Amino acid sequence: MVDAAAARTRVQVASTPTAAPLLRVQALVKDYGAVHAVRGIDLDLNPGEVLGFLGPNGSGKSTTIRCILDLLRPTSGRIEVFGMDPRRDGVAIRSRLSYVPGELRLPNRMSCAQVIDSIGRLRGGFDPARRDELAERLKLDLRRPTRQLSTGNRRKLSLLLAFLWPVDLLVLDEPTSGLDPLMQHEFVALLREARATGATVFLSSHVLSEVQRTADRVVVLRAGRVVAQGTVEELRGRARQRVEVWFEGDVPSHLKDVPGLVDAAVDGHRFTASLTGPIRPLLAFLGSQPVTGMLVEEPDLEEAFLDLYEERA
Amino acid sequence: MSGPSAELVLAPLRSIRRATIIWGVALAVLVAATVSVWPAFKSGSGVSQAIDQLPQGVVQAFGLEGFGTPAGFLRGNLYAFFIPLLLVGVAIYFVSSLTAGEEDAGRLELVFAQPVPRRAVFAGRAVAALVGLAVLVPVTAVVQLGADAQVHLSINGGRLGATLALSALLALFHGGLAVAVAGLRPRTSVVLGVAFVVAIAGMVAALLLPLSAAVKPFAHLSPWDWAFAGDPLVNATAPWRYVVLALPAAAMALFGIWVFGRRDIRAA
Repeated sequence: MVDAAAARTRVQVASTPTAAPLLRVQALVKDYGAVHAVRGIDLDLNPGEVLGFLGPNGSGKSTTIRCILDLLRPTSGRIEVFGMDPRRDGVAIRSRLSYVPGELRLPNRMSCAQVIDSIGRLRGGFDPARRDELAERLKLDLRRPTRQLSTGNRRKLSLLLAFLWPVDLLVLDEPTSGLDPLMQHEFVALLREARATGATVFLSSHVLSEVQRTADRVVVLRAGRVVAQGTVEELRGRARQRVEVWFEGDVPSHLKDVPGLVDAAVDGHRFTASLTGPIRPLLAFLGSQPVTGMLVEEPDLEEAFLDLYEERA
Repeated sequence: MSGPSAELVLAPLRSIRRATIIWGVALAVLVAATVSVWPAFKSGSGVSQAIDQLPQGVVQAFGLEGFGTPAGFLRGNLYAFFIPLLLVGVAIYFVSSLTAGEEDAGRLELVFAQPVPRRAVFAGRAVAALVGLAVLVPVTAVVQLGADAQVHLSINGGRLGATLALSALLALFHGGLAVAVAGLRPRTSVVLGVAFVVAIAGMVAALLLPLSAAVKPFAHLSPWDWAFAGDPLVNATAPWRYVVLALPAAAMALFGIWVFGRRDIRAA
């Protein structure tokens, strides 16, 4: 077992644009016969960053993650993790990362503690105090046989295994699926703690609020392709905003021609529409109009996310 | 063997521990029950005389020659088919369940995500199957010798050892084949299907083809013929019989491990 204090000490890695990416995926393609699961993905993950990896079911998220871990062999393209090739240097790469699979299947005749011990032996030991602390925080009874674990408890065990070692990279595939809100909150706390000690996080998730709270940057996949990437704020900026404007008199007829306005409707002196893109042209137009009131609703990530799919669908 | 390497063998061994005990008990019961019949058989059963009435080819094919002698009795009742077939079944079952079965069920994903070479994970499971099989062979030998002593069934220990070694190598041959198939395709049904079809086809070929002079030479294509055509309970076994079973077994297992490293891991 490793020393507890040493295990939790990690050099803080500065997240700067000039640092070499910790993970680089270039033109990744993965086909299963005639099925094109991933159709040319490019992405970078910088040290210290939390990258949200979003997309509907079947968009290629898990396939990409499994290629990163060398569980799948790409049809073409290039992957570098810590500057190394997963196929050639898989052992060295996996010694510096932890992985939460999308669906954790466990041996039937073992307890949670035995699973942890077995994985621990493969990783050269672990800190028992850290294991007990995580079990306590995740409310997981380590004596329970794995065959009796609910989906949520299996997820807790996989999270415990992910946070047990002080790794440089956490690869998390739907990590909170099946967890109750309390445990989702605990997961976010654990993620922030890991990040505070320098860990980089690759977070695939359907829970947009979780991504919104934790991710610095987001990559959105659809049908095996990246359809958007940027910061959460940039993504939110692309979302439709609901706009309502009240005028002293009639609604100006040219208002609906302002760039970015869609779904425009007039109800007496009230104009409603959805705005996509920058708000400046609308404000410029309204500046010369007899406006009595205006309401612009803040878009959230969910709207941005759904809009992205609608745009490309 | 270092910690992670040992765990790659010990973890699958733990998962077949119960099955190994059950198979061991089954083999012990089969051997003990069969041997317990020997005193009654020796002192007056008409089976020996009945066998003498059968056509020579049938007697030969079913390993019934000299059925009234200790070696003939054990060969006809245990070592012509039952014990080798059980060991072959154990080898195929262990390999299939530890490799394709576990991968098919998605239970290896967590192991493959650890800092261990993926071929080492697969090889560790093949070794665990080998160890499970290796435990059963001495168990069978000890029970056989113990039961023989109880009923005064006199058998040459060296010949018995050679017969069991050939049975184990025959099992390894089919276990190696199962490793090769599991390395190519992580489907339990495919692994079991291919390995058992080869095992049964080989057994039937070794049994029936010698009955016809026209096809008799083809019996030599069967691993069962390589193992038992020399009648190892009665005659000294030529060393080449061990080699022709062991070398392909090792080659097929190594091929399975190599090819496994080149393919995708099946998702849960």
